[in-house]
Amino acid sequence: MTSHIKMDERVERDRLAEMVQAVIGKPLDRPEGALKVSGAAPYAMDRLPANACHGVLVRATVSNGTLRDMDVDAVQALPGIRAIIADDRLLRNPAQGMAGEAPIQGPKDIAYFGQPIALVVAETFEQARHGAQALKLRFEADGTAIVAPDDPKADIETPEDEQDSTGDLDAAMQTARHTVDAHYTTPGHVSAAMEPHASIAEWNGDRLTLYGSYQMLRFNRAELADALGIEEKQVRILAPYVGGGFGSKLGIGPEAVAAALAAKALGVPVAVAMSRQQVFESVMRRSETDQHIRLAADEQGRLIGIGHEALVSNLPGEEFSEPVTQATPFLYQGDHRVIGHRIARVHRTCAGSVRAPGEAVGLTALEIALDELAAASGIDPVKLRLINIPQKDPSQDIPFSSHMLAEALEEGAKRFDWDRRRSEPGAVRDGEWLIGMGMASAARVNMLIESKARVTLNANGTGTVETDMTDIGTGTYTVLSQIAGEMLGLPMDSVETLLGDTAYPPASGSGGSFGAASNGTAVLLACEEIRQQLCERLDCDMQGLTLKDGHAIVGNRRIALPEILDGSRLVGEGHVEPGKAEETVRQATYGSYFAEVAVNAITGETRLRRMLGVFAAGRILNPKTARSQCLGGMTFGIGMALTEELIHDPRDGHIVNRDFAEYHLPVNADVPQIDVVLLDERDAWANPLQAKGIGELGICGAAASIVNAIYNATGIRIRDLPATLDKIIDGLQSRTD
Amino acid sequence: MSEGRYLRPQRLDEAVDALKGGGWNLVAGGTDHYPARVVEQRPEDILDLTGLTDLRGIGEFPDHFRIGALTRWTDLIEAPLPGWFDGLKQAAREVGGVQIQNRGTIAGNLCNASPAADGVPALLSLDASVELASAGGVRILPLADFILGNRKTARRPHELMTAILTPKPARPARARFLKLGARRYLVISIVMVAGLLEVEEGRVAGARLAVGSCSAGAQRLPALEAALTGQPADAGLAMLATPEHLAGLSPIDDIRADAGYRRDAALILVRRCLADLGGLR
Ligand SMILES: Cc1cc2nc3c(=O)[nH]c(=O)nc-3n(C[C@H](O)[C@H](O)[C@H](O)COP(=O)(O)OP(=O)(O)OC[C@H]3O[C@@H](n4cnc5c(N)ncnc54)[C@H](O)[C@@H]3O)c2cc1C
Repeated sequence: MTSHIKMDERVERDRLAEMVQAVIGKPLDRPEGALKVSGAAPYAMDRLPANACHGVLVRATVSNGTLRDMDVDAVQALPGIRAIIADDRLLRNPAQGMAGEAPIQGPKDIAYFGQPIALVVAETFEQARHGAQALKLRFEADGTAIVAPDDPKADIETPEDEQDSTGDLDAAMQTARHTVDAHYTTPGHVSAAMEPHASIAEWNGDRLTLYGSYQMLRFNRAELADALGIEEKQVRILAPYVGGGFGSKLGIGPEAVAAALAAKALGVPVAVAMSRQQVFESVMRRSETDQHIRLAADEQGRLIGIGHEALVSNLPGEEFSEPVTQATPFLYQGDHRVIGHRIARVHRTCAGSVRAPGEAVGLTALEIALDELAAASGIDPVKLRLINIPQKDPSQDIPFSSHMLAEALEEGAKRFDWDRRRSEPGAVRDGEWLIGMGMASAARVNMLIESKARVTLNANGTGTVETDMTDIGTGTYTVLSQIAGEMLGLPMDSVETLLGDTAYPPASGSGGSFGAASNGTAVLLACEEIRQQLCERLDCDMQGLTLKDGHAIVGNRRIALPEILDGSRLVGEGHVEPGKAEETVRQATYGSYFAEVAVNAITGETRLRRMLGVFAAGRILNPKTARSQCLGGMTFGIGMALTEELIHDPRDGHIVNRDFAEYHLPVNADVPQIDVVLLDERDAWANPLQAKGIGELGICGAAASIVNAIYNATGIRIRDLPATLDKIIDGLQSRTD
Repeated sequence: MSEGRYLRPQRLDEAVDALKGGGWNLVAGGTDHYPARVVEQRPEDILDLTGLTDLRGIGEFPDHFRIGALTRWTDLIEAPLPGWFDGLKQAAREVGGVQIQNRGTIAGNLCNASPAADGVPALLSLDASVELASAGGVRILPLADFILGNRKTARRPHELMTAILTPKPARPARARFLKLGARRYLVISIVMVAGLLEVEEGRVAGARLAVGSCSAGAQRLPALEAALTGQPADAGLAMLATPEHLAGLSPIDDIRADAGYRRDAALILVRRCLADLGGLR
């Protein structure tokens, strides 16, 4: 039996609060943690069958043109080579998140440098790699490829439904007492998940099994089936362990389709793992952005106008474009508003979702602009934000579901000793180092995605959760077990959660911060169904049933679950769908960041000294896994602020720094003590768990707090991220000249 | 298409004998060798040096130390050595991360001759020489004459490096190494500076400074060294360094930094290094 809910309205009852097992909200360890740190958790390539062949992808070395010819014979003659797959079904680039259908296919039309155009398959990995490198290709290059969004010849789209304007911002800018009018740029970023993309495909007749590294299996299954031209039911995908995703594993990728095609052609399992360089080139990047922000405020700093116009890029034919302005319509008040969104079509690698698409870069720029307004108006940055929090969503004129930005700002300021900050830049010095503090708001839209789960109460009184949901390192195994344990009154070691297999009920998948809340709701509903069945057996009503430590307590009776089950098992399914609640109220998560930096007055290096994040995301299901998400997000923010930048060759757009030696993620020595505070909140509009997404909130604006601290330390305003030492030294020198 | 040969001699005479024919690519820790082959591998003849275990280790002699060619960075960090090795030890700790230091050799760093090799300025400041062996015998070259440019050395195809020799300073000496990169650690240098001061009766009796990543190969700063000699050994040494002293450098623009920044930062690092060295007791 299935228990179903469509989120059309508030859910008044707080089901978890009525439970007594007391595992929800506890900072519990991951049950699979020991497997992971001991190397015992099987990731995709760990499933290698003994008889598997290996495939290595061949890449295009022009950025726009046609593949005319390849010297297949010479490579086929090499030792160990089994096949060269150049099938028309090969993917140009990965599917976008939640596409549910194949992306553009066909290896002959080249759209970017690095595009996979063939797969060389051999008995060993080394033979395949050798063959892939030896394969001679003949391209007909189209010399006119536009590879940079600021190329004057770039084709720029201005989608009508993504422009918005109310009031008269130009007039507001004229009359406002304080204004900011500036351009901000952020470079391309990559997800840099630890586990490179890999797939092993194996056919049994016309049925395909794929071991992969993916975030959203129900969509991936549809995408893979569509790409291959077969039925969804012929495809099974397994991804029980995923070594990080951050958006890069949302949609089916070229390696999966290539492995499936090769395995079919050869009649043996085929494994395709990407090298780190291939991950950089043929997986999604976050688009670079150019953001024009205008702020108009009155004497007291109250915003009367906000303009946020963004230019992003993507390949021709891709629907996704970085939703830079996503949080701008509702974060601050202001009657006069302009939202602009333009997309340059360029021959760079495909742009897609990287952790918190939109807010990660969009809020960062907006929050730097707010700091500029604070400086211009002489109003404290925390206060400036507090006085501009709207009472309701100012763009849609609907209420907020819950809203804790003010608490996050105040709590953060208090804990960080913000009142010790000197507002004039460059006022605090420690030897060669200039010290400064900065802050920013955090916000991220909250989403609910259709999701299903099955829970079984086994005859021995243990529980099993099954769903094709993934745990990409986030703690899904843990929180789903906690929800089931709480609802069924089972201790944690009596609940097993099974994930990452399309044989289980289809879930939301991991993405957009919605996984735990969406799929957790499905688990809660499935447990409700089981509770109902238990009531029937015990002849009591739902209110009268208490489940704790493997026992049911009804009236003055306490009965062990196996006794009630009497050799049988109970199965419940849960199904949640988004509904009208999305339009009735504005749902989002909020927070604040505070950062202290030291900037070397002589070399311009920035050293982050301490950082604090305060976040409200509804009910916190597990403070340990939630905190880890925030730490990870803020570390992404450090990279965005200081070091991370994709560099493209201006001639052909190829990524120059396609490894971790030159794409500078922050290393441990760059990351100081980070503190995370999670505020207590419930959001009854979000879902019956009253929990909201937390996986991305920690990056949405984090970089701005650091850039703003650099300004407070030095008086140098970096608008072109990352704030590398050479940019800062330029500012330091021009100030002393 | 040839598969390539592979040889792992156990004794030096076998190694130099094999090298007579030429055409071998030598591999020690492999930490420069393999990254250069990520994108493309071609068949090649590999002479694996790791069997020459006699070449690993540091020995003390009356007037010098001998660092065997297979000595790894971690060996150096852990060895009990006099204080004037501190600069080289600081460099050792900045070569990649611990895994790299556990595999990579000092000789490999020199033979690879990257402009950004952290070992080179530190060893230049120690006035090191390198020992090259071939079937014809052994020759010793000053390090400055061994590194000819970006990935160019004076090593002949039939030679292999057997040791690095560092003379003991005539007077009490102190040494430092400073590195600047785009992040705090695990990063290829934008600029690095190594310095050694010999101090007698409170004055600089001898100075050797070298700057890396600002030229095709790391450079000593002879004019500055001369200007320092005879000066009181205190933190005030820093201000004796001028842009003119760095005129011999020829930094380039690349994705890590531009030439102008490198030139500025080099001067600052030289000054920091001198302030540090002068301030030491
Ligand atoms: C992740 C990473 C980070 C790194 N970070 C740094 C860094 O911060 N700073 C830095 O300076 N370097 C760095 N390196 C480069 C490298 O680790 C060092 O240069 C190391 O010292 C090389 O030693 P090896 O023994 O591994 O050399 P190998 O790779 O074995 O050899 C390097 C070269 O030297 C030659 N060679 C080696 N031994 C001999 C010999 N006895 N006689 C003649 N020729 C020889 C080889 O033929 C080859 O051309 C890094 C490398 C990696 C992979």
